[in-house]
Amino acid sequence: MSPIFNIPFGPQHPALKESENFMFEVDGERVVDVTPRLGYVHRGIEKALEDRTYIQDMHLIERICGICSHAHTTCYSQAVEEGLEVEIPPRARYIRSIVAELERIHNHYLWLGLVAHEIGFETLFMYAWRDREVVMDLLELISGNRVNYAMNMIGGVRRDITPEISSRIRKGLKVLDERMKYYERICSSERTVLVRTRGVGVLKTSDAISLCAVGPTLRASNVKRDVRADDPYAAYDEIPFHIVTHDGCDVASRIVTRCEEVFESVRIIRYALEHLPTGPLEVLVPRTVPPAEIVSRVEAPRGENIHYLRSNGTDKPARYKVRAPTLANIPALCKMLIGGYIADIPITIAGIDPCFSCMDRLAFIDANTDRSWVWDGEQLRRYGFKWYKKR
Amino acid sequence: MPVSYLKIVEGLKEKIGSKSIIDSKVPRPRRISISIRKEKLIDAITNLVKEEGFVHISTITGLEGENGIEVIYHLNRKGLEASLKVEVSIEQPLLPTITHIIPGAILYEREVHELLGVVFSGHPNMAPLLLPEGWPKGVYPLRKKWTYEKIKKKLLREK
Repeated sequence: MSPIFNIPFGPQHPALKESENFMFEVDGERVVDVTPRLGYVHRGIEKALEDRTYIQDMHLIERICGICSHAHTTCYSQAVEEGLEVEIPPRARYIRSIVAELERIHNHYLWLGLVAHEIGFETLFMYAWRDREVVMDLLELISGNRVNYAMNMIGGVRRDITPEISSRIRKGLKVLDERMKYYERICSSERTVLVRTRGVGVLKTSDAISLCAVGPTLRASNVKRDVRADDPYAAYDEIPFHIVTHDGCDVASRIVTRCEEVFESVRIIRYALEHLPTGPLEVLVPRTVPPAEIVSRVEAPRGENIHYLRSNGTDKPARYKVRAPTLANIPALCKMLIGGYIADIPITIAGIDPCFSCMDRLAFIDANTDRSWVWDGEQLRRYGFKWYKKR
Repeated sequence: MPVSYLKIVEGLKEKIGSKSIIDSKVPRPRRISISIRKEKLIDAITNLVKEEGFVHISTITGLEGENGIEVIYHLNRKGLEASLKVEVSIEQPLLPTITHIIPGAILYEREVHELLGVVFSGHPNMAPLLLPEGWPKGVYPLRKKWTYEKIKKKLLREK
């Protein structure tokens, strides 16, 4: 039988869901092999950073990711501050932690909504995104922006958290905490959710370690690793918190892990607000960084974020390397997909919280007949619903 | 250098010989940077992963330095970050793959290959990963000689 080729339909829109391409080899309903092709939103930021000054770079770093912009700028500021050998004031360290945790809550709410959408639970999707507005309002209150908060500067933070803002954050946290408790109960008891997530996208502990997965994906496979605890930065060495792990190793376990991480984040913010040190927000820093090599790490909402800086005594970096958490989770994701059903592809991919959650172009090759065809993410999502209805 | 860090370097010395270690330093707590000769890369990685417990690789950084291309392996053990550095020449940027020791390094090696032209022999798949289809051969954007202007000219000519 000669292969049938379908032309990919629809543009790749990096609006909400970013572009990504996976080539699946399937045998009936089972995925036999998968080949990712990344780079549809590769913007050459690392090269661009070498061409700009440290102050200009801050703005570019802020725009690496829409959701975890604060994690990237924190990582960047830390690297440059270490190169400059400056210590930032304690109040700035605490504010960095508070914004980082609000960002984590924001990310996890957004993710919960996307997961609900992928399994066709539209009510939960709407609820989760409605409640996400609460945390976005808090971030706007602090920074002036709903995303890309621009809170960090080299040597400190740009804005203060006043007692008035602090009391409003506390009010917001109460809502976020209560709602997430409700969602956690739903996600661990509602049958429709469990059928679509239990035993789906399994990543064994040994695979998670050998494939170097990071973040909640790793912790849901029962590996206790978190940069905040292992390699403390900002104010995390002074704030008590606990690392959430679960041993389910599947999508259901990833959901519970993230829900509980929100409770931890709420606790961290409450503690930080209560113990917020007084003092200045920033220190003045020189513009040129003496020659050094610095490795900076941060626990972004999606996992370990690592930056590497090579400075050469000028006001521009000689090399700046960024590795965001999604790339680290791709080998693990491929492992999860192989052996699974076609219908589970969307939820498995959404399960790692990829920064390019769109599978705008999906190509299938049937291993037995060599027939190949192309689906977009929406077609695949609908296929998944139909397939599960028939079962 | 604190004792626990010293032990890592001593263990490595035993395995690959003290002559193969060019430099080692601890810039701050929880960071150790070791520079070795490229011939001993596999032995050194095996030692760090199997005996010292650096099972996690955070990423591989490639950069063009003064004497060639530096490749830095960022290994991790419970918050302790070990940067293992090797150097290859620009004319012959060849290194063995480490994916059989750490499978998680598979995409990082491809990234370094694509952006700096380092060839990792033994890697299962060196296909393009990040740059667009039809990207001109031999253009490694993170090499210093490829400035924006040059890349732009080359891309226009290819069209």
